Amino acid sequence: MHSVEETVEIAVPVRTAYNQWTQFKSFPRFMTTVRKVDQIKPSLTSWTLALGPVHGVFEAEIVEQEPDSHLVWRSLGQRPAHRGEVVFEAVAVDRTQVTVRMEIAARGATGLLAGVPKVAGRVVRGELRGFKEYIEGLGAESGAWRGTIRNGRLRRTHEERQASGVPCWPVG
Amino acid sequence: MKNAPGEEPDEALTVTPPKEWAAGVPAVAHALEYSLAETSPLRAGRTLLTMNQVDGIDCPGCAWADPAPGHRHRNEYCENGAKHINDEATTRRVTADFFRGHPVSELARRSDAWLNQQGRLTEPMVKRPGSDFYEPISWSDAFGLMAEELTSLDSPDQAVFYTSGRASNEAAFVLQLFARALGTNNLPDCSNMCHESSGYALHETLGTGKGTVSLHDLHHADLIFLVGQNPGSNHPRQLSALEQAKRNGARIIAVNPLPEAGLLRFRNPQKPRGVIGPGVRIADRFLHLRAGGDLALFQGLNRLLLEAEEARPGEVLDHDFIRSDTSGFDEFAAHVRGVGWSDVLAATGLTREEIEQVRDEVLASERVVVCWAMGITQHRHAVPTIREIVNFLLLRGNVGRAGTGACPVRGHSNVQGDRTVGIWEQMPDSFLDALQAEFGFDPPRAHGLDSVKAIKAMREGRVRFFLGLAGNFVRAAPDSTVTEEAVRTCRLTAHISTKLNRSHTVCGRTALILPTLGRTERDMQASGEQFVTVENSMSEVHTSRGRLEPASPLLLSEVAILSRLARRTLGGTPDIPWEQFEADYGAIRDRISRVVPGLHDYNRRVTRPGGIPLTNPVNEGVYANGVGRALFTRNTAERLQAPEGHLLLQSMRSHDQWNTVPYSDNDRYRGIHGSRRVVLVNPDDMAELGLADRQNVDLVSVWADDVVRRAEDFRVIPYPTARGCAAAYYPETNLLVPLESVAENSNQPTYKGIVVRLEPRTPRPMPS
Repeated sequence: MHSVEETVEIAVPVRTAYNQWTQFKSFPRFMTTVRKVDQIKPSLTSWTLALGPVHGVFEAEIVEQEPDSHLVWRSLGQRPAHRGEVVFEAVAVDRTQVTVRMEIAARGATGLLAGVPKVAGRVVRGELRGFKEYIEGLGAESGAWRGTIRNGRLRRTHEERQASGVPCWPVG
Repeated sequence: MKNAPGEEPDEALTVTPPKEWAAGVPAVAHALEYSLAETSPLRAGRTLLTMNQVDGIDCPGCAWADPAPGHRHRNEYCENGAKHINDEATTRRVTADFFRGHPVSELARRSDAWLNQQGRLTEPMVKRPGSDFYEPISWSDAFGLMAEELTSLDSPDQAVFYTSGRASNEAAFVLQLFARALGTNNLPDCSNMCHESSGYALHETLGTGKGTVSLHDLHHADLIFLVGQNPGSNHPRQLSALEQAKRNGARIIAVNPLPEAGLLRFRNPQKPRGVIGPGVRIADRFLHLRAGGDLALFQGLNRLLLEAEEARPGEVLDHDFIRSDTSGFDEFAAHVRGVGWSDVLAATGLTREEIEQVRDEVLASERVVVCWAMGITQHRHAVPTIREIVNFLLLRGNVGRAGTGACPVRGHSNVQGDRTVGIWEQMPDSFLDALQAEFGFDPPRAHGLDSVKAIKAMREGRVRFFLGLAGNFVRAAPDSTVTEEAVRTCRLTAHISTKLNRSHTVCGRTALILPTLGRTERDMQASGEQFVTVENSMSEVHTSRGRLEPASPLLLSEVAILSRLARRTLGGTPDIPWEQFEADYGAIRDRISRVVPGLHDYNRRVTRPGGIPLTNPVNEGVYANGVGRALFTRNTAERLQAPEGHLLLQSMRSHDQWNTVPYSDNDRYRGIHGSRRVVLVNPDDMAELGLADRQNVDLVSVWADDVVRRAEDFRVIPYPTARGCAAAYYPETNLLVPLESVAENSNQPTYKGIVVRLEPRTPRPMPS
């Protein structure tokens, strides 16, 4: 496993930075290696990456997610190729420190990052810079998902559990 | 136009060894052979190449989900789907001349396959009281006949409206709206006979009537159970998902009384390794379970998991999940700890070691999916069995996470969608309130009749009118003799159909055949070309658009037939825009979007590639079962056992069959050729019962009412079924299933658990 840790400070409130990070579909707009992201369900995302001429697709499970605090993920597959976390910390009312930590194996769609020395750090640093420029430029998030995930499972408050927006009657 | 067979095939029974793998090149060859026998290469190409594609035709066969847009194969169909769609696209035609040459009494003696092979129905027909012939009738007169009958009923509850899973969401919504505007909730459907037990048990425990998994979950599961299902013949595209899961490292445990080819190995004909290679092994472990032993199996397994937790506290069960999301654990655990091993082993026919090996597989797996089908749902104790499967999943938190969940595999393309849009005799007040708010009438609140109750009501003379929206009710229903007598008591029966089947020949005093467009055909209405929408087994709602010219210019769409019938029957009361519905199906979807939760903004969202993935509340951490938590349950059931000299019979499809429609008399995976009147029996049971290979027997079922239900003239075939269990094809054996033999709570007929004796018809043949 190859370890990477990169940090960037962003001039927006922590809530704004976090909210924007939950809008995975927007990632291709500011990340050069991400071509497409599909959110299959709250805890499951599918990513299409392109690093130079090399393309790859992987699915990632969000294992932990806490609004305005952190998000932990791991890739899925026979032998998971990477896992990581992104942590949001308010350093001032309108400034947020975003830290990404990843462990990458030399296989799968992200394997190239682990294969060449210092590439992983450079790519992650560049993508974080892209995120900073994007959200600072917007000034406000383009959307938000404020759910909580524990152990890969969406957590609901008691009140939220009482309501459901889909048909719940038995289906034969 | 292809010629239909004039006479029944006369083939001799031959038996070859059962196959140990499914699909491969023979699947392609058989699909093409059947397709080209039914239709032209051009039509076959147009159906197959648009089948299950974005903006194409949804396969009217099984309800298996399609891969995401962009990930679909150019040939996104299976052998059975290809047969099914070209069975509909056939160029054979049933005309008025055909009916002039075939009295109803003669058609009633024909086989299901022969009736189907006559081709597409082309114009409305009526059989008048006292006549033995169908004759042409205009659409207007047909609607007039039905409206007259319906408006003359003493009560709307004397009418029954049956729906088959082929019907689109739009047609189903219009049908339930019409029935409720008329004043009845008598809306039985084919769900009553296939997965009603799943819906009941899942709703009770998890608060959802639907499965919780997507294809992604299957792809990323560590361990998949295939319980009481035969994917090779009944949902072959599931094998592609299982192949993908295996490549991701999943292990698979198959549990079934018959070692079906599709459970053992899959040779994907769309990949070189499937064509010239050995394919992929499906089941890493096969449990040769006695029919109906599934509840005992999961109870034994759950007991072992509890014991493993006691040995390694904190390492086996998902305590956080159990604490935060579930209720009833302590009572369940106390109950399961008391389950005796002798009972488990007797009911399952397995050894304790086999079940302990399964436990070890479970303990080594972080993500588990359980798939099941009719082998579970069509037993008396189906609901407790599915509740026990839910217990099993809850113990280690195998719901709501990626790669986990419950997967009832549905066998008819829109059976799930029809229920979503209101085809159920017990719809909750929330739905009926929404209907009232949208359309301004007060829908009836008393529960209506399901399929079994409808047959009983007919038998008692309480039903005068029966309308079948697609399907073959008479053949799908249990206790065929009773069902047929019951249907014949109706004053008027009408069927909206594409092809001829036995339900047209066993009918009321007046009978109508209302020929309709198939899924494959262009649907032109006043506002232009229409598409319909359907929901697959994994809760994805998407479009289906036909491509072929209609089989006859006289065909009306299902929506058009139902809308015109409603207009003619109800007039302007209540004020429902039936004409607008017929002209523009988008107008129906607009109404659905305001009545059915989750389908908001229906018209816009459903046309996106891939359609609308309906959220499953369990995956959102919501358990809408009234408790707000997933429920552990205590389950008990009387062990299903056949007395000495008897066997436990399960009915099944052949590989060359789709629901009640056999395409031929062959079942190549099981090595049966040239006859469907066979009963598969374990060789040891044959020896014990003194039966010889190919011996002619009658199957006689045993039930508390002492009525003799006899299926005549079957040949005994030695087959590796589980000990004490036999298998034979439906619908030929449906007459053995007593109407009263139903699953607890769900009222689903027990087609997979019938006690029978095999009575020799002739002296034993001399050994050759």
